[in-house]
Amino acid sequence: MSDFDVRIERAVRALARRTGRRTFLARFGALLVGAAGLPLLPVARGSAEDTRVPTPDENIPGAQGDPTSCDYWRHCAIDGFACACCGGSPSACPPGAEKSPVGWIGTCRNPADGKDYIISYNDCCGKNWCGRCGCNRNEGERPDYHWVRNNDINWCVSAKTLVYHCSVAIVVGQATEPQPER
Amino acid sequence: MRIRRASAALGAALAFGAAAAAVPGPAEDYVLHCSACHQRDGAGVPGVVPPLSGLAPFLATPAGRAYLVRVPGVAQAALDDERLAALLNWVMSAMSGTAPDPAYGAGEVHALRADPMRDAPAQRKAVLEHTPH
Repeated sequence: MSDFDVRIERAVRALARRTGRRTFLARFGALLVGAAGLPLLPVARGSAEDTRVPTPDENIPGAQGDPTSCDYWRHCAIDGFACACCGGSPSACPPGAEKSPVGWIGTCRNPADGKDYIISYNDCCGKNWCGRCGCNRNEGERPDYHWVRNNDINWCVSAKTLVYHCSVAIVVGQATEPQPER
Repeated sequence: MRIRRASAALGAALAFGAAAAAVPGPAEDYVLHCSACHQRDGAGVPGVVPPLSGLAPFLATPAGRAYLVRVPGVAQAALDDERLAALLNWVMSAMSGTAPDPAYGAGEVHALRADPMRDAPAQRKAVLEHTPH
């Protein structure tokens, strides 16, 4: 028997004398269960939120409202499914959907600071329609003949595919006054 | 670069507008009345919306100058004549790199938008055919 084998055998026998199999199983089991439970701790969840990429318009006051509600202030003239209910956010399309380059732009008043903000309504295209949070608010919206302020148009006509999925309401900036049609 | 310059100008205009609490400047009117189609930087959407960068030749003839006011998207904008004139002057300077000379005024804009354009593509073609190159 080689020296190497002798040394390994001694080490293993010493280990076996010091530790019982049940002790090992108990400790190893505890480690596994403990590791699985770690992400449930508040600390772990807090750090997960920090890594989320914020959209640029999340810093304005009032953004803490519920974007999955049709009453959300940015949805004042939305006609369609709110993307926040479809795996996206009020400002971003869900993964796999393409934002229509053309949309329509109006203003909404933010109740948190009483100011008017310029909102860009764009449709997210290329996935079948979302079907959740169907909203139809028409503040400042105008009939088809004034199409630049119309929300009945499927703006996916400007995208690669006509298939409509949901609508975003992006804050472009603060408005000096509400849009003329309001 | 153009995008960055345009957004810097827009940011400055918005900040100024908020501080003065007055009428929006042309940069803000551009965002509200033009940018949904022509995009914030005026680049348009290939095959869908024409860019605003190539409009300088229109200023070379009276018919072209009139076209820029009478084209439906401009003439029908929900703006009074004064703000529409300011917006046109700003778009031509900022997006097309050519300031109208003389600048558009409220009176000229008022007269031109009172004369509806019934066939914009045909008018556009006619204007460009008669523009010196």
